[in-house]
Amino acid sequence: MALQVSNLVGGYSQVPVLKDVSFDVKDGELVGLIGLNGAGKSTTINHIIGLLTPFKGSIKINDVTINDDVQQYKKQIAYIPEQPIVYKELTLKEHLELTMLAYDLDQKTAWQRADKLLKLFRLDNKLDWFPDNFSKGMRQKVMIVCAFLTDAKLFIIDEPFLGLDPLAVNDLLNLISERKKAGASILMSTHVLDTAQRYCDRFVLLHDGQVRTEGTIEELRQLFPDAGESLNDIYLTLAREGDAS
Amino acid sequence: MTNLFKKRLGAHLTELLKYLRFVFNDYFVLALVFMIGGLGYYYSNALKQLKTGLWWAPLVIIAVYLMGLQCGRLATMLQDPDYVFLLPREAEMIGYLRRAFNYSALLACLIQLLIWVVLMPFVQVTAGASVPELFGLLATILFLKVTWLNADFARKYHLNHQWLGNRLLFRLVVPVIVLALGVYVNVYVGAGLAAVVMIIGLVSRRSWASRSLDWQTAIADENSRMHSIYQFFNLFTDVPSLNGAIKRRRYFDGLLRLIRLLPKNTYLYLYAHGIVRDSEMSGLFMRLTVIGTLFLIFIKGEALPIILCLLFIYLIGFQMIPFYFHYEDNAFVHIYPITTDHQLQNFQRVLLTMMSIVALIFAIVVIIVNITNPVTVIGVVVCEAVEIGYFVYMYVPRRIRKSEFSR
Repeated sequence: MALQVSNLVGGYSQVPVLKDVSFDVKDGELVGLIGLNGAGKSTTINHIIGLLTPFKGSIKINDVTINDDVQQYKKQIAYIPEQPIVYKELTLKEHLELTMLAYDLDQKTAWQRADKLLKLFRLDNKLDWFPDNFSKGMRQKVMIVCAFLTDAKLFIIDEPFLGLDPLAVNDLLNLISERKKAGASILMSTHVLDTAQRYCDRFVLLHDGQVRTEGTIEELRQLFPDAGESLNDIYLTLAREGDAS
Repeated sequence: MTNLFKKRLGAHLTELLKYLRFVFNDYFVLALVFMIGGLGYYYSNALKQLKTGLWWAPLVIIAVYLMGLQCGRLATMLQDPDYVFLLPREAEMIGYLRRAFNYSALLACLIQLLIWVVLMPFVQVTAGASVPELFGLLATILFLKVTWLNADFARKYHLNHQWLGNRLLFRLVVPVIVLALGVYVNVYVGAGLAAVVMIIGLVSRRSWASRSLDWQTAIADENSRMHSIYQFFNLFTDVPSLNGAIKRRRYFDGLLRLIRLLPKNTYLYLYAHGIVRDSEMSGLFMRLTVIGTLFLIFIKGEALPIILCLLFIYLIGFQMIPFYFHYEDNAFVHIYPITTDHQLQNFQRVLLTMMSIVALIFAIVVIIVNITNPVTVIGVVVCEAVEIGYFVYMYVPRRIRKSEFSR
């Protein structure tokens, strides 16, 4: 089990945003984290990457919790934020170098990987530029390159599809499936449901800080036979129901 | 709109107060008292050497008043989102801005008063001015300042006749003419002219008050005003809203490449690149180094150069401490699989390097200037070493632990 979230209660202050959230991501699996704005997707992610401490419950990555071994725990994660976070003082090349440094990657093999990724996202001629001055989509590509530079076992990707050009979206999806085949797991939050439906193996639907339901698209269809065929329809029905109750 | 202005002013003053507490910390107050005392002593001594009729004295008077006039801008307290949120109430903005103008004028006039008081003995001695003439000068600079601010006010509107909001005209050209007239010809003529210009400016307000507001200029002006305030505060503490410009500085690449790419050097890598590229940080370092060096070139003595040396090294080191937290807000430093064990060590290494560079420059200057005095030559080297050692390895860890606690 790559990622196991059990009975997670958490949030930013004393008032919990997440109320008893449990789900898992298996090895080589791509799980979509779906939910409305404010449902708790980002809070869940912030707990997993260790920016927030759970009030209750536990998060394990390959059976290691953050309290067992911080470095071992964090070494397994690569994170692609929704809003790209870059160092304004560092050039693109230095961002890559810093990532290699922080994750203790072998320079030579890491640069081979980096060159391939840079070419793929057409950043190879911008190595000496400051990503801080890039457009949002380009900065997002920097985040992707940095994340896929690592040998992480768990990729946490927060809303990757908004701001990227269609070619980059396609390349990202290819990268994801490549890493999946190699055994890595991916947790991805998104609002672009038709893409999610096509690529995710399983879905976790969050609503109001709780897991409303989870399963493959087939399982969801069987659970809600009247809701419609697509993930979009099922989700809309669920969200409206959730608000009404 | 009146309420909005009151609220904004309240928030603005609270913010200033918050930062002023950092500015007037114990050390700085002490340094300030010494500086004012020293300058006052020097000033009063210098006055005794002066007599009426020096050819350069009127020029000094004009220059000081002119520089003084540039202090105090129109504080509108406008914020970036205002352009969206206050757009529907644009017609009422004139009331808001008028209050802003009154507040700014009051503040600016107090500054003018202070400058006038400081310069008064100089004017009395060199120009032999009588008391009514002195008050004439005060009136002149007050009128000029109000005109100055009024032009700043006019700028915020889309004007037909650009000259009303022409900053060069009202900040420089008019004051120079009026002050020259007042100092060289007759004080009252200058004051009269200043009054006429001011009244024209204030009356003309009617012609633009009903026009549409130039939001972009207004907001850009306010941001630039706040930026200079923050820049000042940044000398004393870390100002979060201040984003310094980043310079590539390729010529330091060789130096930065000396950092060995090991996980325990992650923070060293960040700090070194940050300090070199962030113009806020390196600017501060450069400014203090240059000022310190200039001081030391002109000062000869036994203990004084050493004390100055230590003071400037301390100032430079002290200003760099907040940089320890520079990357705290970046989520990635918390996500990397690194421990923070080496963070302090890494920071100390950067600090040690920077302070040693300054110490070396200062020491060379002091030794060259005071080569005949062996006590100073040896003293400066020893004292610098002791100070830097104590500062980096004893003071900084304690200071950072304290700040960490209060964050």
